[in-house]
Amino acid sequence: MNKAQFLEKLDNSLKRLPSSEREDIIQDFYEHFEVGMSEGKSEQEIAKALGNPQQIGKEMVANYRLEQVEETATTGNVLRAVWAVIGLGFFNLVIVLGPFIALAAIVFSGWVGGLGFILTPILYVINVVIYPEIFTFYDLFFAIMLSGVGIFIAIGMYYVTRWLMKGFVKYLNFNVRMVKGGMGNA
Amino acid sequence: MNVQFKKGVLELCVLVLLDKQDRYGYELVQKISDQIAISEGSVYPLLRRLTKEGYFTTYLKESSEGPSRKYYALTEEGRTYLGDLLADWEKFTNGVNQLIKEGVRDE
Repeated sequence: MNKAQFLEKLDNSLKRLPSSEREDIIQDFYEHFEVGMSEGKSEQEIAKALGNPQQIGKEMVANYRLEQVEETATTGNVLRAVWAVIGLGFFNLVIVLGPFIALAAIVFSGWVGGLGFILTPILYVINVVIYPEIFTFYDLFFAIMLSGVGIFIAIGMYYVTRWLMKGFVKYLNFNVRMVKGGMGNA
Repeated sequence: MNVQFKKGVLELCVLVLLDKQDRYGYELVQKISDQIAISEGSVYPLLRRLTKEGYFTTYLKESSEGPSRKYYALTEEGRTYLGDLLADWEKFTNGVNQLIKEGVRDE
């Protein structure tokens, strides 16, 4: 692989980054080639020592995604970061995707439970409209009470969700720092 | 050497190299790969991350040969971080060395 091929492959794997970021990264590698060549190395030698441009690109994208999450932790940003970190290597498929699915399941079931409780009075009213003979005040108040419990669960879930997201982003950061990705088999 | 392990240590290597003087990317990469076998390209994502985290600043400087080069300089924050990492590293290697010594003695 020569310099042009290396830079092109790298550039292709950076497609999802904003162009300013992308140009900056390409510039760094362009400089690396220039300095290496001025020291008498061939383009091929330099490219080989740098390693796989696609893997370098993936790592750049993962870093960028994690930065975005730290700025604004929206669900979309977290998902993109998880995806980018998983892309770093097969190992991450297991140690990132596994915990992520588990946490997502906890969060999802918590919200479904909370919302279900909140909606109980509505369901009860619908039920009474269909079968008016089953109406009792006891059931109505019980439904309203469940609705109140549901609101508390939802408030709790809001904090639990935020806390879990923050924790998981920390875990992703740790992952990018310590786990194989871009190191190749030198 | 184990790949996971190397990646964690790379951060420390880069910070140490910038402690005494500012350096450009190629120079950093060469210094490290002279001592440790790495995929040289993996140093650049690390440099970007540490720069964005505020541990380095960068500036361009003209060179007598070829285009101007991007130099990396350690910030105060970076120096503090390096101090922490070095302390951790020493504790860790002392521990491992002690275990190795004891292991050898037992046999």
